[in-house]
Order: sequence, then structure tokens, then C-alpha cells
Amino acid sequence: MRATLAWAALRRHPMRTLLAVFGLAIAAALLLDMVMLATGMRASFRSLLTSQGYQLRVTPKGTLPFDTEASVGGAAALVASLRSHPDVARVSPSLGTTVQAQRGEQAVSAFALGTNADVQGEYTLLAGREPSMPADSTIREAIVNATFLTRLGVSLGDTVDLSTERSAQLRQSGRRGRVVIVGEARFLYVPPGLPALSTPLGALQHFLGTSGRDRMSLAMASVRVDGLDAAAQRDRIERVRLWIETEHSRVTAISTETAIVQVEERLAYFRQLAFILGALSLVIGVLLVTTLVSLSVNERLGELAVLRAIGVPRAGVLQQIMLEGLMLGLAGITIGLGLGLVTARWLNTILRDFPGLPADLDFFVWSGEAAWKSLAMLLIAATFAGAIPAWRASRVRVAQALREEAVA
Amino acid sequence: MTRLPKTREAIRRLAVALCATVGVVAWQPLPAQSAPGPVIGAPRDPLVPGRRPPLVRGIAVDERLASDAGVQVGDTLRLSAEAGTVGEPVVVSALVRRAADPSEVARSEYRVRLHLDHLQRLTGSADRVDRFAVAINAEAGPAAVDSFLAGVNHVAFGFRAHASRDVAVQSSRTFQVVDRFHRAIGGITIVASAVFLLCILLLKVEERRRAVAALRLAGLSRRTVALSVIAEAAVVAVLGSAAGAAIGWVATLLVNAHYQRVFRTPLTFALLTPRIALFAVALSLLLGIVAGSLAAWRLVRTPPLTLLGR
Repeated sequence: MRATLAWAALRRHPMRTLLAVFGLAIAAALLLDMVMLATGMRASFRSLLTSQGYQLRVTPKGTLPFDTEASVGGAAALVASLRSHPDVARVSPSLGTTVQAQRGEQAVSAFALGTNADVQGEYTLLAGREPSMPADSTIREAIVNATFLTRLGVSLGDTVDLSTERSAQLRQSGRRGRVVIVGEARFLYVPPGLPALSTPLGALQHFLGTSGRDRMSLAMASVRVDGLDAAAQRDRIERVRLWIETEHSRVTAISTETAIVQVEERLAYFRQLAFILGALSLVIGVLLVTTLVSLSVNERLGELAVLRAIGVPRAGVLQQIMLEGLMLGLAGITIGLGLGLVTARWLNTILRDFPGLPADLDFFVWSGEAAWKSLAMLLIAATFAGAIPAWRASRVRVAQALREEAVA
Repeated sequence: MTRLPKTREAIRRLAVALCATVGVVAWQPLPAQSAPGPVIGAPRDPLVPGRRPPLVRGIAVDERLASDAGVQVGDTLRLSAEAGTVGEPVVVSALVRRAADPSEVARSEYRVRLHLDHLQRLTGSADRVDRFAVAINAEAGPAAVDSFLAGVNHVAFGFRAHASRDVAVQSSRTFQVVDRFHRAIGGITIVASAVFLLCILLLKVEERRRAVAALRLAGLSRRTVALSVIAEAAVVAVLGSAAGAAIGWVATLLVNAHYQRVFRTPLTFALLTPRIALFAVALSLLLGIVAGSLAAWRLVRTPPLTLLGR
């Protein structure tokens, strides 16, 4: 009965109701988007970092992985030391540098990554096979990404010339080598527009000569955490991290949690923007419902007085008015959910154009729990936004309201 | 944590120190009582006429690093290209403040500035630079820049010359993305506030239905009534947007104060220009007129007695 009355009240002013629902839908969409932005970056980055099962990143002291050109010497000994720790399951060392790749007249600068194929966590092989490590460590085979293939106009099986830095004075390339492209891979941490290739670590170190000898840019370590609960896992990872930093003063060990915190610091702007806009959309939604229901109640004081006069209890009037807010909120949130998902996809497309970010990093990620919680919050807020006018309506003086209505 | 070779490159291009090799150096303060030791490693290049650099070289330190590490002008530090090595002593000759560069705002890394030859020696990159800037005679005009670029790139081997304007375009991609994002968010909030405004004004005008009916019954023409309703909506919209602009201005002060403290930069994060304020007021006025017109149209076409509920 009360729901029918509430529905009838909303239907009486279709234009007004439509606008209110539309306004609430936009507020809900914005709120959903901002929740997705605030939680999505963290979730997406965590998923990216943990996708290959490595919880620790070991870098030259004071640097983040591949954030500078710094590398650390004595790589073999360092990796052996890391592997000797009983809680370390596997270690993946890698060396990154920039090389010139050329085929015919076509030349590009490419990001070259030296890895050990059996433990690497840098790429996913899409086609072909892993490059093999020759006995004499000469660089002979490489896998590349799609951008490399496109930019250089080559395909699997083709041969390209690689060279290190060029001397402008002598008009000579540094060290040179010829590699066969044996596979195509998707590099997890390389930006989409950057040509990249990977060869065995030893081959790249050999290719770079003295500047690459026994050096690495990064080592990823996987800690044995099977069978441990979350807290115990964190403790063990932190113990190994501290051990690495104590034993090896030349490096910094970064856990996934620390890495996420550091990235969040850099992208704090988006999180704070999401918080501000999310809060704003919630306020707009509440204000909209409050204003609408207040005016609606003011218009219907006489009608509400009649209801009270025929025996409808105060609680009944209160419930009916609040039901109107609930109905508006439900309709707005239902439309807002769809609208929010569409706009999130659009906004994500814009932000994924950020130069230098990994291709798999998303800014807007659907998180069921966070989304439902935020939309439920809006629904509750919208419902209770009608509480004040509803309370006023329930306190209406019946005789006075009826008399004023009759005079009017 | 992310791997950002392109961003790094863009940031480098933007860097103010145009004629320096960029290196990664580690530093550690010397104990207060330690006397500066001799320079480790002699310069590899032959001496050319000029003044011999002092044995202990001076460096300039980012004020952020100076503040965090408690470093002052005159302090002696050890500087090395790789962590864990002894390094060479240097004296802090100056503290420098970073320019308001948006590309660096989120990066909390520390910086020290060295003389070019000093950094080349320290990092073992003798006679190497990442880039250098060339100033073309200003009187020669833009054509001279293009001609110079073409000439250099024709014979270039291992390097490439770029016009500053092209570098600026390429390195501003980050800001183009942020700008597009802001525009998109701005569009959504404008639509949201437009609907909100439309709804409020429509309701506000509809609340006046009895007054409008009285005016109509008193003999005022539909046109006069409609114009008065529209004028009222417009005034409410302008007053509301003016108040909104004032709140926005206060918000920009708070935002700037907060983010300048968080990122330790003189950068302006939020800016309310007269153009933006004018746009907000004009948009509100337009929406007010639209809402007023819609409401007025509905009111004047309804018979006055119906408006009174008779």
C-alpha cells in the first residue's frame, strides 16, 4: 500500500522524477568510477607484480626496477647468494639496456632485456620458442614484442643486426651482433609503444662487453610461502627482504607491498581525485533527493494531512516518504551502474595512453565488493536523505494543514 | 616500481640541465672529523689551458635531499657511482631548488648537480653526454632552425637533433593524457551539475505555481509571467554560480597548499582563472534560462485555476 502510494507520488510528476533519477544515475556512475579508480590501480598493479610468483625485487641500492640505468656488478655471486637462502625458491636475474636494431635501411632503438628463460618473469611467450643460450655466449637468438616486429617490418625467422651505442666521432657502432628472431612475446612491464627484445642474460652481458660483464639491473626472488597464512607469508617475505639488505649493502630489496606503496605515492593524485569526486557525487545524490522530497512534501502537506486524518500512523507517513527516496535511489543506481561501467571503460582508455606504463596496467578495475558497497552507501544515503522531510511530514498538524489546504 | 623507459626519456628531455651527463650516484656523509682525502682516480683527459679544478670538487644539492639528510652548504660528502663503494669526497657548494616541473612532481628522487667533467669521470663516461642544447641566432628565424636540423641530421651518426618545439610536444604526452582525463571528468561533472541545476530550478519555479496563477488572474500577460519566471531562474543561477566560484577559489587555495606541501614543489596544482569562472557562470546562466523557460512554458500554458488546484 505504502509502496503504491510512493510510486503514485513519483508518477505524478514524471519530468521531475525523470530528472532526479537521471541526476542520481550520473552521481552513482561517478561514484562507481571513482571507487574503481581508487581501488583499481592498486589491484591492477598487484596483479601485475604477482602474476609471475615473485614477491621480492632486488635492485641497485636506492633505485626502483629499471627506473634508472643503474646496474649492479658481481651478479653471479649475488644471485648464488640469494639462491642459497633456504626460504628462497627461485631467483630471476635480468639486465636491461638500450640497443640499436637494424634491418636493411630500417633502424630502431629497442629495450633489450637479458633473462634466464627457465626462471624469467618478464614476458609471456606468444609464438615461437625461447632463445637458446649458445656455448660461447655469443648473442644469436632473441624474442621480440609486436611493436618491434611492426617498427622494423620483420617477422619470426628474420635476422636483424644489433649494436650498442654509436660513436659520433668515429662513425662506428659500438659492439655489433646478428640475431635471429625466434619468438614473439608480450613483455609485462614494457610500455606498449616501445620495441623490446629479450636474449639470454649471459649472451646480453657478453654482447655489452665490459659495461655488461657480470652485471644485472634486477633480480626477482620468489619466497617459499606454501601452506602459510597471509600474516605468516608477510613475515617470511619481510624476513628474507631484511636478510638480503643486511647481507648485500649494494642492493635494495623491495617487497610487492612496498612497491605498491611507492607506486601509490607517485599516483596519489588519482586516488585523492577519486576520493574527492566520489564524496562529491555522494553529496550531490543526497542533496538531490533531499531537495526533491522536501519540495514534494511541501506540495502535498494537505494530502499527507488527509492520510493522517483517516488513521494512517506517523510511522506510515514516514515510511511512505522514505520509500520515495529509496525508489529514486534504486532507479538511479540501476541506470548508474551501467553508465558507470561504460564511462569507466572510456576513462580507462584515456589513462592507458600514459607514456611509459606497462600495457597490462589498468586504472579502472571492477571490484565487486567495493562497487556494491559504494552503491549501497549511495542507496542508503538517498533513502535517508528523505528522512528529514519525511519526519516533517509525519509531524504535520492535521487540522491546521487541512484548513490551510481548504483556504488555498 | 614500474619500468618507465619512455617516461624517463621524456623527463630527461625536459630536464633543465641541458649539458650534463645524467648519472646515478650514491652519496654518504663523511664523519664530521674526517678531513677530505685525495681525489680517487686522476682525470683521464689531458689538461687543456684553463684553471685546474680544485682537488675536492663542489656539488649542488637538491634542497629536498639537503632537508631530509640534514646536509648544509660546506658539508663534505662522499660520492660514488655505485652503492657500496668508497667514493670520492665532495663539498656541498650550493643548495638548489627544483623548478616547478610537472613531469617531476610525483617523483621523490633526490638530485645532485655536478660539473660535466666531474660526473663524466665519476661515472666512467669520459667525453660522453646524453644531450646538448644548441642556441640558434635569434635573428636567423625559425627557418634557420629547420635548416640547421636538416644539416645536422643529414650527417648524424649515433645521435639525432630535435627542435625544442618537437621535444616539447613529445615530452608533453603525459600532460596531454592528464588533460584529456580532466576534460572527460570535467564533462561528466558538468553534466551531473547541469542535471542537478535543472532539477532544482525546475522545482523552484514549480513551487511558485500559486503565485504565477495569482499574477495571471490579476491580468498579467503570459509573456510577462514567463519572463519574470525566467529572470528569477537566471538570477538564482548566477548567484549560485558566483557563490560556487567563490567556493572554488577557496578550494584552489586549499588544494595548492596541500599538494605543494605533499610534493614539496612550488607548482600550482589548481588555478581558477577569470575565463574558467566566466565559463562556470555563463553555463549556469544558460542552464538557469533553459530550466526557467521549460518551467515557464509549462506554467503559462496551464490555466491559472488549474494551477490553483481548482
